[in-house]
Amino acid sequence: MEELKRRIEPLLLKTQKPARYIGGELGSVIKDRSKVDVRFAFCFPDVYDVGMSHLGMKILYGLKNARENWWCERVFMPEKDFEQQMRENDIPLYALESLDPIRDFDFIGFTLQYELSYTNVLEMLDLAGLPVLAKDRTSLTPIVIGGGPCVCNPEPVADFFDLFVLGEGEELNIELLELYERMKPDNPTKQEFLREAAKIEGVYVPSFYDVDYNDDGTVRSITPNCETAPEKIRKRVIRDFDKVYYPDSFVVPFTSIVHDRAVVEVLRGCIRGCRFCQAGFIYRPFREKGIDTIEQQTKALCEQTGYEQVSLSSLSTSDYTEIEKLLATLADYTDKENVNLSLPSLRIDSFSEELLERIASVRKSGLTFAPEAGTQRLRDVINKNITEEEIMHTCRMAFAAGYGTVKLYFMLGLPDETDEDVLGIPDLAHKIVDLYYETPRELRASSIQVSLSTATFVPKPFTPFEFEPQATPEEIDRKQKLILDNIHSKKVKFSYHQQPVSKLEAVLARGDRRVCKAVYAAWKKGCTLDSWDEHFRPELWDEAFAECGIYREFYANRRREYDEVMPWSHLDYLVSREFLIRENKKAHQAITTRNCCEGCSGCGISKDYGGYYCKGS
Amino acid sequence: MAQPKNQNLIIERWDYRLTFAKEGRARYISHLDLMRTMQRAIKRARVPIWYTQGFNPHAYLMFPLALPLGTDSEIETLDIALTEDWDFDRLVKQLNGSMPEGLYFVSAARPVRSHKDIAAARYEIEVSFDKPAEEIKALFDSFVSGETIEIEKRLKPKKGRKPGVKLVDIKPLMTLNSCSLRDDKLFIDITLPAGVENNINTGVVIDAFCTFAKAEIAEIYTKRTNILCKDGENFT
Repeated sequence: MEELKRRIEPLLLKTQKPARYIGGELGSVIKDRSKVDVRFAFCFPDVYDVGMSHLGMKILYGLKNARENWWCERVFMPEKDFEQQMRENDIPLYALESLDPIRDFDFIGFTLQYELSYTNVLEMLDLAGLPVLAKDRTSLTPIVIGGGPCVCNPEPVADFFDLFVLGEGEELNIELLELYERMKPDNPTKQEFLREAAKIEGVYVPSFYDVDYNDDGTVRSITPNCETAPEKIRKRVIRDFDKVYYPDSFVVPFTSIVHDRAVVEVLRGCIRGCRFCQAGFIYRPFREKGIDTIEQQTKALCEQTGYEQVSLSSLSTSDYTEIEKLLATLADYTDKENVNLSLPSLRIDSFSEELLERIASVRKSGLTFAPEAGTQRLRDVINKNITEEEIMHTCRMAFAAGYGTVKLYFMLGLPDETDEDVLGIPDLAHKIVDLYYETPRELRASSIQVSLSTATFVPKPFTPFEFEPQATPEEIDRKQKLILDNIHSKKVKFSYHQQPVSKLEAVLARGDRRVCKAVYAAWKKGCTLDSWDEHFRPELWDEAFAECGIYREFYANRRREYDEVMPWSHLDYLVSREFLIRENKKAHQAITTRNCCEGCSGCGISKDYGGYYCKGS
Repeated sequence: MAQPKNQNLIIERWDYRLTFAKEGRARYISHLDLMRTMQRAIKRARVPIWYTQGFNPHAYLMFPLALPLGTDSEIETLDIALTEDWDFDRLVKQLNGSMPEGLYFVSAARPVRSHKDIAAARYEIEVSFDKPAEEIKALFDSFVSGETIEIEKRLKPKKGRKPGVKLVDIKPLMTLNSCSLRDDKLFIDITLPAGVENNINTGVVIDAFCTFAKAEIAEIYTKRTNILCKDGENFT
């Protein structure tokens, strides 16, 4: 450590935000390496500012470090300036707690949160001094594992990982590390360890499966080639969300990060079933923590971190069954301690006046809505059960309370989208501007700004839209222009996403194993930090796909049949294929599906998984 | 309508001037980040910190003088106020229970001098270059004995002024207390202007020397050793 530290320090003074690369934050766990049996490098494949905001890392970091003889440390992707310094000065990728090179660790774990971080995984392995291809890493350690939402289709990165862990990690991580600790004294080979690991529910060893293809390029079959590998790998679910581990301590960064606050997770899963939303399906079923648990975790974290803001995190916090009671309970504590309580992800239809009041008393920030589609018909197609009336009702209340900025998020290229749906977007914005002018002058804010933002729809695995083609970039360009041409108010601003990013995302989201080659080639050409506009190099990706003979339209813009074998068909995320097909058919008829709270729609999840509303068996 | 918090509350306050050290990994915490770090540390320590009044009450903290990134010190100051009268030792002990690695409080006292009195700061710099030490020493001696020592100062864009650089002669502003060779490193003890009126960073002086000597820094260690007032007295 001392040796590496001495070599790192002079570089820090030449680096932007050097506090990101030296550790030492309050709450970071330091152990005596001679007393540790398992060392785990938890890698977030993006820069510190982003990775340090990730709740999953905080949970799994605390969980593993709670074992006296395991040491879990944090590793992030360096920015380009520091990466260059590291390469020029021969500094291998190191972990922030010990400053030891991670190539000497037992495990290197990556969390795959978004597809555009894939090249960062390769870059980090390479910076660590390791071969990026799993087949070239022949010794037992480090074992390179991947988890997070993207592993519901990890095929485009399957060649780089030894194994993947599917679903929620609190129990699975423990089981995997315990297995390793048990086997380690006998010096097993990597193959021997992987064969045992494959027996754990939720562990997917990609090299234990052979993929065959049809003449048309679609997948014919995915078959295990190892007797311990199951036909289907089922994701893990925490059944009792009140009893599961939650950290009472966070690493508190010095430098500002994206979400710089205490975070308490109040529920997992989502009752809504918006048909485009992957999180709404892969995190099912809906489970929540009790008020007492949330209160106790809020207090513990505020006291340990000294944060002045605590956020209640989930996919949709207002779906908490006793939200008003929860807020009242927590506000008693936070008001007394001068802590701000923040509630991200509020849904428009559950936005009561009392809730609005509570937020307004903290800070009059803007209102943000995600109607996602411009007309009621298209909102029914995607099962986003918000009506225009509800949006207008909330805006009316908000304008009377003095709000002056409204942000509206939409998607373009949704299935069955017509020009009429697209024109509904500027229409809605104009109606909101009119509503502001109808608000009595003495109540409303001094000005109004409505910001429209559109993203290109990316079809994702394990959603009812996994069969759908993505709209072509040309089609999206035309629709963006249609919106621009139909904005007639200076109070309406329009911003939109770059095309090449969404198309790449679509290929990586639903690609098969053959896409690994293109990821490798793009990285070799210098693609990293693809999610950052200033670093994204679409022309290098174009070259990479061309050289590998991979036709992107095959993955992004092709309609898939209901009986097609998907590249992720061997993975079981509990939601049944039949349900997804049923939902897809209803989408094309613009028929909505009730949410879990209103009644079970039979998504295929058994009530044994602890879902609050689950009835199925 | 939302009401400002803490309004009309008459809360007695007791002022404290804390002396703290910043070293090791903590030397890479920038000044802005240090503010946040201290706020959180004080909150964790649960000392009865005095909050400002208004819509967004915040803990009152004031750093009389910023410490440049990468510089160690054991004599930095932080002014805070409490709503209770605590004795100095108790305050220091309580705060030190919640500090991150490399940051700790040395002592507490009542503030005496105003931060506007600060005029200079003294530094020790231990530095090696990509040239032999003897040669560097000779070069440094001629660097400081020249007529002028000119540095480029960046101008902030103001009304009627474009952003740019101007040359400033820092020779009359700096005091070289000593300069010697120790273990093949140049050891410089220097006093530079600091505070609201004029502020010169050690990095500027070393950079100017690098240009003069056509040398590059190999390793550098800088420590602030004193903060001085206009009348020559110590600030704390």
